[in-house]
Amino acid sequence: MSATEKLGDARAHGPLTLSLALAALAAGSVWILLATPVSHALAHGNATNGYDVVRMVLVYATLPRLAMALLCGAGLAAAGAILQQVLLNPLASPTTLGVDAGARLALALATLFTPSLLGFGRDAVALFGSAASTVLVFALVRRTFSAISIVLAGLVVSLYCGALSAMLILVKDRYLASLFIWGSGSLSQQSWEPTIALAWRLAIIAIPLAFLVRPLTLMELGDESARSLGISVERLRFLAIAIAVVLSALVTSAVGVIGFIGLVAPILARLSGARRFGERLLWSSLIGALLLLLTDATLQNLAGFSSEFLPTGAVTALLASPLVLLLLPKLKTATRPPLQISPRVGFAMPRSLAVTVAFAAFAILVALAIFAGRSSTGTWQLFPSNGWADVFAWRLPRTAAAAAAGALLGTAGLILQRLTNNEMASPEVLGVSAGAIFAVAVSLFVFGNVKTVQEGIASAIGGFAVLALILLLGRRSGFAPERVLLAGIALSALIDAIVGVLSAAGDPRAVLLLGWMSGSTNGTAAATAIQAGLGAAVLVAASLLFFRWLTILPLGGAQARALGVPLGHSRFMLLLLAAVMTAAATPIIGPLTFVGLMAPHIVLVTGIRRVLPALLCTAAAGAGVMVLADWIARTIAFPLQLPTGLVAAMVGAPFLMVLLSRRGTAYAT
Amino acid sequence: MQLEGIGFEIAGTRILKELTLDFPDRGVSGLVGQSGSGKSTLLKILARQQAPTHGTVSFNGKPLHVWTEREFARQVAYLPQHTPLAAGLTVRELVELGRYPWHGALGRFGAKDRENVDEALSLTSMESFADRFVDTLSGGERQRAWLAMLIAQDAKLLLLDEPISSLDVAHQVSVMKLVTRLSRDRGAGVIVVIHEINMAARFCDQIVALKGGRMIARGPAESFMTPERLQQIYDVAMGVVPAPEIGGTIAYVRE
Repeated sequence: MSATEKLGDARAHGPLTLSLALAALAAGSVWILLATPVSHALAHGNATNGYDVVRMVLVYATLPRLAMALLCGAGLAAAGAILQQVLLNPLASPTTLGVDAGARLALALATLFTPSLLGFGRDAVALFGSAASTVLVFALVRRTFSAISIVLAGLVVSLYCGALSAMLILVKDRYLASLFIWGSGSLSQQSWEPTIALAWRLAIIAIPLAFLVRPLTLMELGDESARSLGISVERLRFLAIAIAVVLSALVTSAVGVIGFIGLVAPILARLSGARRFGERLLWSSLIGALLLLLTDATLQNLAGFSSEFLPTGAVTALLASPLVLLLLPKLKTATRPPLQISPRVGFAMPRSLAVTVAFAAFAILVALAIFAGRSSTGTWQLFPSNGWADVFAWRLPRTAAAAAAGALLGTAGLILQRLTNNEMASPEVLGVSAGAIFAVAVSLFVFGNVKTVQEGIASAIGGFAVLALILLLGRRSGFAPERVLLAGIALSALIDAIVGVLSAAGDPRAVLLLGWMSGSTNGTAAATAIQAGLGAAVLVAASLLFFRWLTILPLGGAQARALGVPLGHSRFMLLLLAAVMTAAATPIIGPLTFVGLMAPHIVLVTGIRRVLPALLCTAAAGAGVMVLADWIARTIAFPLQLPTGLVAAMVGAPFLMVLLSRRGTAYAT
Repeated sequence: MQLEGIGFEIAGTRILKELTLDFPDRGVSGLVGQSGSGKSTLLKILARQQAPTHGTVSFNGKPLHVWTEREFARQVAYLPQHTPLAAGLTVRELVELGRYPWHGALGRFGAKDRENVDEALSLTSMESFADRFVDTLSGGERQRAWLAMLIAQDAKLLLLDEPISSLDVAHQVSVMKLVTRLSRDRGAGVIVVIHEINMAARFCDQIVALKGGRMIARGPAESFMTPERLQQIYDVAMGVVPAPEIGGTIAYVRE
């Protein structure tokens, strides 16, 4: 086996070579950055000659910033390496698990409502947020630690935290700019104090971590084997995750969210040949530190003074997401069996009764939404006092548009869940929604204030562009569902980062963008409602044509092929349909709703399992949820009209989490 | 099934080398060999789950890649070694999926389809389980449910990848009896990957032995039951004793 030995030889020096290369690049970039101020400082001797701006900037802003980059990179990469090891999941990282997002939300909440808390307990607040979101992710996946389901749960939690942050920003828009810059990970410093504080905190964490390296190495063998070697697997896993969460929370508390370093650095270490956990931890930290230093120094070189406001975290995500896309095919992600849809939870209602109940509930909701409301004085009333003109002019269009969008997203969600055989899949996850936002952001910033129609066109173009990219990336793997989903996740992150960078410029148009993202149906025109309704009817009807493929595909690729289902073709058609549905719905209710995820689960709970009735009922459930959300949005804060999309996310996501955690016992494993 | 110069490589490792042979259209053919000898890979190539890197496979005189998906599935049915969980499907619904190659994505599920499903359920004695969920069944019952789906598919050739290796002796025998009966009554061909050599000798009409990706022997089942042949296939010293009750012989490990 000389071939494998040679391979081993080449790999032994891989991490070193990579680190040296990164170090050389980073050193070059840092040299360019520092050459002028350092020579200036040397030429002008010591600081006693009075007030020297260049020297002050060098000593109190530039140098601590570079040191901060090294520390944050190392901390996040170490957290990523630990999470990947303990979950045996090459896709785990503070970003993909939603740890970052939790810290960010908690800090944003504290900033807005109890600013005094930040004075002494900033780390504690970030830690609380991180811990809460981590617990939520694990509650969502229960004991199925499959790579993709954890990442998807993390994504859902991140999206939810993002929706909440968006709501906060809408309510308190004075803080918008600073929140955006900080939330996107700004490394800029004004003194050495934060850097030193972070350094000793990280050093303290390193002590317990050192004791865990050896037991964590054994985790590679899997739970059973590790246990039989005398390791308390549960305790070890808890401790290791806790350390990773603390590491990432400390970094987030110091500089905000630095996306993807915690994912990319360990992956690079692994691919360059660091095999054992100890090696991987060490090299990941080094690579992460150098990577962030390189990114930040280069950013400062390129952006000059505006780099103060250009968040490094968003730029990192921008650079790292394509890297993730490139590296993903090299990782073996499909080592564990996929999550199966487990519809046995439910009330086992007779099928026809369940369908009837579903549609009756929908009809009642629609009636409620159209008739019930509040009068101009704010009192509740079942029928509008000013007559029916109000109903037709204002309520009917928005209710119809919301229902159509809900039906579209719900059906798209069911299609994606069956296609990927994963109950956490949804259009939000596919990245089509993110593409739509991006296009609207671009059109806002390029053409100025755009009209509703142009918004719709832009979002459709963006959605399709993302879809085309996903399809292109997915074609090589025969549209293997997990690849498509991962591509979607990376694209979403990329687009989020771009939106973050655009908004961080402090442009007032960012508020417009946020307003659009929150999905307001307020003032929907009758024509829009009619178009949406027709679109929903046609597309949902089209989805019914695929019911047999949707029954067979969850059995897996091999089985579907054996039964004569054209695999690539059927997956392409279904993905296309789901993307068109998402692109049609997003302009109406925004990209942040979880309807695509919720509606199929609501239907599962009623015990409807056959695809044909499930498709119809999911459309009805999605429409129902959106109609309800729209009604709440219209009436709850009367006369203020809340954005429907955000209300749907606020109301729906907790409900969804309850549904998902109920289902834990249904697993055969 | 005709194979001509079939080879298969993954990342430079050759798993199958220069296989040229015919599988008969009728009767039960057993594929035996050590683990890693390429049995499952060969079966996947025959089932069109994987394309060979060299050579061509033809079925009914037509190369495999010429067949459309559904046409091929009407002729050839495949049972992978590990069947998916099929959560949320009842046994009857699973068996009905076997009719997909005949009615297609939009065709009506007609009387002929229903008849085939009923027949498949009764052949496998799964009628009493028809409304149970597949994922609540025991291993043996689940295997029978999947076999019923294959039977409903009504194919001319069945490819079975280790259908009995996770079953107890009683279930092994009942599955193999069912397979031979199908082959005899319906004139279907069966190619089955099988580890247990005594089961292979008992139920297969002919046996093909693979070793290191090459065919090292083929012939009628009884011709394999000699110590030399078995030693050659499994690299283990084996003996053979007559078993008059079954009119054959039984192999055992001598070491």
